[in-house]
Amino acid sequence: MPADVNIYKALRAELTEVITESPLIKTFVLIPEKEFFFDTGQFIELAVDGIGEAPFTPSSSPLVHDRLEVTVMKTGYVTEYMHNMKPGDMMGIRGPYGRGYPVEKFYGREVLILGGGCGLAPIRSLLYALEHVVDKLEKVTLCYGSKTPSDCVYKPLFARLNKIEKFETYRTVDKPDEEWHESVGVVTSLLNRIKIDIDKSVAVVCGPPIMMKFTTIRLLEMGYPEHQIYLSMEKNMSCGLGKCGHCMMGKFFVCKDGPVFTYNELKDTPDIWK
Amino acid sequence: MNSYYSIKRENWEADLIKLSDLFGIYAATENGHLPEYEPVNTGNIGNMVYNRPKPSTPLKTFFLPVKENVTEEIRPGKQRIIIGVPNCDVTALRLLDEIYMDSSFEDMYYRHKRENTYIIASDCFDVLEHCHCVSYNVMPYADSTADLSIILKGDDVIIRIISGRGEQLIKDHFRAVPVTGKDITSFIATRQREVVEILSRMNKGLPDYITTGDLVNSADEKVWHHHSLRCVSCGACTAICPTCTCFLLIDKPGFHKLKQLDACQYPGFERVAGGEDSLAELPKRFRNRYMCKYVWKPARFSGIACTGCGRCIEACIGKINKNEIFRELAK
Repeated sequence: MPADVNIYKALRAELTEVITESPLIKTFVLIPEKEFFFDTGQFIELAVDGIGEAPFTPSSSPLVHDRLEVTVMKTGYVTEYMHNMKPGDMMGIRGPYGRGYPVEKFYGREVLILGGGCGLAPIRSLLYALEHVVDKLEKVTLCYGSKTPSDCVYKPLFARLNKIEKFETYRTVDKPDEEWHESVGVVTSLLNRIKIDIDKSVAVVCGPPIMMKFTTIRLLEMGYPEHQIYLSMEKNMSCGLGKCGHCMMGKFFVCKDGPVFTYNELKDTPDIWK
Repeated sequence: MNSYYSIKRENWEADLIKLSDLFGIYAATENGHLPEYEPVNTGNIGNMVYNRPKPSTPLKTFFLPVKENVTEEIRPGKQRIIIGVPNCDVTALRLLDEIYMDSSFEDMYYRHKRENTYIIASDCFDVLEHCHCVSYNVMPYADSTADLSIILKGDDVIIRIISGRGEQLIKDHFRAVPVTGKDITSFIATRQREVVEILSRMNKGLPDYITTGDLVNSADEKVWHHHSLRCVSCGACTAICPTCTCFLLIDKPGFHKLKQLDACQYPGFERVAGGEDSLAELPKRFRNRYMCKYVWKPARFSGIACTGCGRCIEACIGKINKNEIFRELAK
């Protein structure tokens, strides 16, 4: 990086559309002031002017550079401000940061993806990337769990994916309503229904920490090798630059070494699920 | 082979005063208990201390201000000269350089300050109660990273050349002359050896840096729970530590950012918006600091993350002495 580049300065981006995904989750469509490139699974720092910034993995395709989508759950101070923003407002973007999904390592494999709640945001970006290289993959199986049917995000996504050869999707909720006709239970319960050749497979997990923990345990029980389980870690990535220390997880800076890790890389680090 | 210059103390002081028109000059000066860095002027230049260990404030404060706007343009200003820096602080700067001048994400504000600052170290010929640099293989005198190092010998200030630009500074602005000869080198070598011997003797039984890392890494929860009972999470140990550099970015209108020093000892340091916090409990924060200094940072960087200055022991209001903890773990 050239010495005159200011690593703390944000690129401006105009908010052009706000899509309500669920009562607590919205997707923000942003047009950056110049083309923005990222690898799927990398994250950005998204800023509300004068209020604060927070790390998010874009939920849009890494192949699109003039438009960026970020899916945000209202869960704290900054995200509450974001949820009140309107088209025309300006936001700040820093990044992209960290190590995303190593898509090329998935070639020739069956990709099993497990998502929980808002954890489907990074996965949607990954799905776009996988769709682009579908000829090189054996199969893509998406298992998604949320609390209730109204908490399910990206409702049109599933119907679209199911039309793509080699893609199959499954959804489950903890608490169904009368109109829900799909599975009920935690996301790992879907693993009993799917057919997968573990020896030829790789698993990707993204969701709340508790979901990631129990899903990883289940995958290990099923026989997945530790180095074939990819986890997208959520930590307090504040600077994104491997300097501020807030996201240190053992010897790792999650912002620089992650956010995507294999379980093998993290298994000896304490408190990874907190 | 080290090269030295010599200058009469009165000329050294007069040349510094003259130079203060061109440079911002800060020197460790007498300040009661411990020396403190102060801008030099005709009134305090006589209070400059020589060969005394550690000013109360670590060197890092010159490069990492408590609060700094990191989005505004860098304003050109005077270059700085900092005099009387002990080697514990000089050595700590190597880790800061690695973190802030990392080629993938270079902090332009840090680099600007670093490139525009001359560091004149001072060989320590004295020790304080908690000094333990030699236990971690850090010598009480600088031979790299700084530009020069000074030694007071009678009425003469002897200047050891460490960097090329340091030598140029001396040639350009001081009435100093190159000196050689055994009386100077053996004087310095003798004093250095004496101090190393004192430090080694007073820290006998203190495990070395690598052993400390192993002990910290293998200590169980009970150890941290017990030793953190007197910790109140005030963060004094991190504020005073020459290698602690963690910070928080604060957003200001106009997409401006303030970088403010922060510390893993404060509650909520690692908390995420969803509420999870791997350092929620005090004993975990307490352990985190030692793991960071002795296990994680050395696993990742070439510079060591504790240079044995002992300031954290002096600063602790709970009178927690990390060296007593490590001695106990080593039993």
